[in-house]
Amino acid sequence: MTVPALEFQKVTKTYRRRLGGQQVAALSRVSFSVAEGEVCAFLGPNGAGKTTSISILMGFLYADWGRIRVLGFAPGDVRAKKRIGFVPENFAFYKHLNAEKLLRFHAKLAGLAEENAATLISDLIAKVGLSSYGKLKIGRYSRGMVQRLGIAQSLLGDPELLILDEPTSGLDPSGRKEVRDVILSLKAAGKTIFLSSHLLSEVEQVCDQAVIIDRGRVIRAGTMNTLLETGDQVEIVANTLTEELEAELHEWGATVKRVIAANVGGQSVSVPSVSIVASGARKREIVERLWLAGSDVLRMNPVKGSLEDLYMKLVGKGDAA
Amino acid sequence: MKLRTILRTIATSTFGIFLRDKLLIVFGALFVCVILMMMTPLLTLRARTTVSNMEGMQTYVLGVVSAIMYMVSGAGSLLAAWAAADAVSTEMKSGTILAVMARPVKRWEFLLGKYLGVLLLMACYVVMMFGLSYLLAWMGGQRVLAASWILLTYPMVRYAIYAAIAMAVATLAHPVLSWVFTLLLGLGAMLVVPGDEPMTKAALRWLSTGLYYLLPSTQFLSEHRFLNIKQATLRQTGWAEHLITLTYGVDYALVVLLLAMWSFHYRSLKRD
Repeated sequence: MTVPALEFQKVTKTYRRRLGGQQVAALSRVSFSVAEGEVCAFLGPNGAGKTTSISILMGFLYADWGRIRVLGFAPGDVRAKKRIGFVPENFAFYKHLNAEKLLRFHAKLAGLAEENAATLISDLIAKVGLSSYGKLKIGRYSRGMVQRLGIAQSLLGDPELLILDEPTSGLDPSGRKEVRDVILSLKAAGKTIFLSSHLLSEVEQVCDQAVIIDRGRVIRAGTMNTLLETGDQVEIVANTLTEELEAELHEWGATVKRVIAANVGGQSVSVPSVSIVASGARKREIVERLWLAGSDVLRMNPVKGSLEDLYMKLVGKGDAA
Repeated sequence: MKLRTILRTIATSTFGIFLRDKLLIVFGALFVCVILMMMTPLLTLRARTTVSNMEGMQTYVLGVVSAIMYMVSGAGSLLAAWAAADAVSTEMKSGTILAVMARPVKRWEFLLGKYLGVLLLMACYVVMMFGLSYLLAWMGGQRVLAASWILLTYPMVRYAIYAAIAMAVATLAHPVLSWVFTLLLGLGAMLVVPGDEPMTKAALRWLSTGLYYLLPSTQFLSEHRFLNIKQATLRQTGWAEHLITLTYGVDYALVVLLLAMWSFHYRSLKRD
């Protein structure tokens, strides 16, 4: 049996004030696991317990109760930490250092040999687009640049598991895309990624599974396909549709949408088509009627909801991404 | 990974942070001003010194060396306490500790690295003061007749104790509180040193004696015990006495440092 990369079983954490005895339940019997090679999104509104969970995984905080395993070890175990890359939320660095010196400092702590570290550091700086700023002191970096540097340091030592707490916060759209590309390349390389983010559309593109947490409790967890299933509805796209057939489809409860322009390769091109969303039970019947009416069926897909819709349904409007 | 690499990396990084610390730079600038103020009358006096008024020159030089000794004792201990408290709390406050602790570094290794960084700073301070007292004495045409290892080792052991106490308290409380606590502890240790006249009340005597053994006895660890400043020469002391005294100091520092490590192991690491 393979060991999950991350394992959280009935983890409970309560913050207590030293004086006054006020207690705040941060996590309440939180359970989930992430298998090796999976990309898992960790979602939830502010204050839901995401950063607390990540801090427990990293060994920064101690749970009051529950079993936690990171790559088969207890949190904070150096054997696990050797194989982890971590980007904390609002990354903070020694501001007097430049990117090269900071990465050299982290490379030493990660136990990398100095001769290998030099090449690796310049490659990582280039990878996150900071080559022109390698000698600039970090204190003069923008927030986005600091975040990129955070991602670069997390990749030192070729970690098996990446724990990323809001890695795209503070980044502009191109920066976000670059981070997304880095995550996708790591995913392709078989790395396990645990990603906490508020950018649901991006999470949807890169993650295999998601854990949604609210007020310290897991409210939904599963693979992305399972989470986004909306029942048995299908979308049928045809090139044309007669008005008689459209009226008939409306009677069957289908939704018809005429599309004039489509996005092809990032450019809007004029491709007239018709999108029909109907019950899966009637898909064969609709396709036959379309063919009889002389239409070509271009594609047929099961209808999926968006992660944003699911999130809003579960969590509400409190923390829309 | 070698423990030595981790400790050296964290210690040198800590030392580098101190060298850029604004408070320390102000402290250093004030120090340079004081030294210049001491040197000016020395140079003037030297120009007017003849064989007949050599005694005045000697008195002045010894006064200056004595002042430096007090700076090594008092200001140095306070500096050690402040640096140790600041070394941990700055990392917590800025959140830089999270990136460091995400690396394969154990908590005690981090704290020990920080502690060694503080001691590195204090070693520079002691060497600087030591060199300065020799320089000023030389400028005044005098010689400091003292064993240099005592003037370097005793203050370092004392700083090790103060740094460990401040670091231990800083793992639990605000750095300013930690510094004040260490300062009060040092003052307390000075107050409970047994005097020539025994205390009349037994309870008070027991309390005082108890505290004397419990608190870090900086008088016991003071190089002044071996230094007769009037003649600027050392009292002859046996190796056994040095060994016992220094072992006491190192042992005290080690025990407090272990307490600091234990406390740090169980504390939450998050941005304060």
